[in-house]
Amino acid sequence: MGSSKRIYLFTLPAIFIIGCFFVYPILLSARLSFTDFSGVGLAEWVGWKNYDRFFSRTRYLYSVWITIKFTLVVVIAQTLIGLIFATILHRMPAIRNLCRAVLFTPAMMSFVIVGYVWQFIYSPYSGGLNALLGMIGLEEWQRGWLGEPSTALYALAAAHVWMFIGYTTAIFLVGYANIPRDIEEAGRLDGASSWQRFRHLELPLLAPSFTVNIILSTVGTLKTFELPFIMTRGGPDRATQTLSLEIVNQLFGSYKFGFASALSIIMLIIVITVAVVQNVWLRGRENNQ
Amino acid sequence: MTQMLHKVLRYLGHGVVVIITFAMLAPVVYMVAMSFRTTQEITQAPLALPETLYLGNYANALSQMNYLQSVLNSLGITLSVTVIVSLVGSMAAYPLARRTNTFTRIIVMLAALGLATPNFVTITPIYVIFRNLGLLDTYVGIIIAFSALNLPLAVFFYTSFISAIPKELEEAARLDNCGDWAVFWHVIRPLLGPATATLSLFVMLMVWNDFTYPLLLLTDPDKYTVMISVYRFVGNLNVKPEMLFPAAVLGSLPLLVLFIIFQRRIVAGVTAGAVK
Repeated sequence: MGSSKRIYLFTLPAIFIIGCFFVYPILLSARLSFTDFSGVGLAEWVGWKNYDRFFSRTRYLYSVWITIKFTLVVVIAQTLIGLIFATILHRMPAIRNLCRAVLFTPAMMSFVIVGYVWQFIYSPYSGGLNALLGMIGLEEWQRGWLGEPSTALYALAAAHVWMFIGYTTAIFLVGYANIPRDIEEAGRLDGASSWQRFRHLELPLLAPSFTVNIILSTVGTLKTFELPFIMTRGGPDRATQTLSLEIVNQLFGSYKFGFASALSIIMLIIVITVAVVQNVWLRGRENNQ
Repeated sequence: MTQMLHKVLRYLGHGVVVIITFAMLAPVVYMVAMSFRTTQEITQAPLALPETLYLGNYANALSQMNYLQSVLNSLGITLSVTVIVSLVGSMAAYPLARRTNTFTRIIVMLAALGLATPNFVTITPIYVIFRNLGLLDTYVGIIIAFSALNLPLAVFFYTSFISAIPKELEEAARLDNCGDWAVFWHVIRPLLGPATATLSLFVMLMVWNDFTYPLLLLTDPDKYTVMISVYRFVGNLNVKPEMLFPAAVLGSLPLLVLFIIFQRRIVAGVTAGAVK
């Protein structure tokens, strides 16, 4: 009997680490968010002041909007393009593994390096994109991609999607591999066209892959920091100022630890709400199919 | 005749898909090509390929970046984190995989909380805690921070892996009067190799590529991880291509080489980790 209880002692180191580095910091963050702590000295209790500041200044609400807009663009584009690649590669087994590996390659690079390389690709004078546009006679499309508020966020999103498209494709391909063969065969024998099979057989059966892809990319994108940090520093005109960038700026730019903590707590609430809502919605969708 | 046409079209289709796929590598090719050219050459002809294998950019980057030291740092941190996370994670996973009750459900929920928490939520308090404990700018500190970041994933990973190990394997050992620890250490742990291999891959990717933690926790250039030394070398204002591109190549080279060798296992491992 003693042995059956003692087995729980095995979880102690993990509980200790998770307690010290997730639970305690979140609680400490919550407490700091009600103070004017500046990194050193004593923290004065200021009540809801930090949260008031967040809700009363458009610049902070705007950075939440930028974060959400960026996430929407990335998640939709990445899911669609990944689905298209996976659907085509599923029908071409001869080149499937080769193409999957090629598409996956950018995911091995870091945000920092992807940020640097794409920053130069977008650069107005000697960058690769404008040179390419000039070469194919689209001079009127040339612009300072990261310098204009109307294009900067989409330019970052394109780099982000490029980096993770192989990930999405690979997950959809796992979904395709899990579709029972006889279902596909039955569709083929019924004379269904490639498009009909996709629309009425495969798409519904891929629901679990949609769930994994959408949740993973959403949670990953909501905390976007490195790309705007490296490529635009949040500019031009705050067009790429994401919430994570704002947190780091408040922290190490102006030493407002209290306010940065309030922003962190707001971020945590956003991420958890979105993850829970998506989970309920997407799992419900899986069961209805 | 139509069958012929059909076949030709099929080959053409495959060709087009392969071309489009490889076109996605253009930024990588661009990065490598530009790393062999001077700023002046790039300004004059932004898309031209290098005419000679000019190595001056690399010589400059290698002499200023502290590259080898930072590669060793990243490797050492990866190794330490893998050891800690695989031991602590598999230990916790054993009871979680074998029992289901309120207690184990709470632990799984805690791990899920850890998995969903963006590191920006904990970065402020961790900075403060580490400063109070004197862990800022130490290997120990950064190893602890990365271990904590990877642990929730490890717990989930090992739990699903151990659940798939038949209980019968343990029974013989139990009959010999082995305790839980002996069963775990001598029966379960030796079977975890494949799971640990995949996990170490995740750890490696994160330690190598993560930017936020080492940026905020490390200030001594001798302790920089690869990405921080790339960032400190290239900088943030007036980025010069002759510094940017060689540093980018050097920074991604080890993982790209690893990927070329183990691509099948890496893609399978990373997607399996995601799907579970």
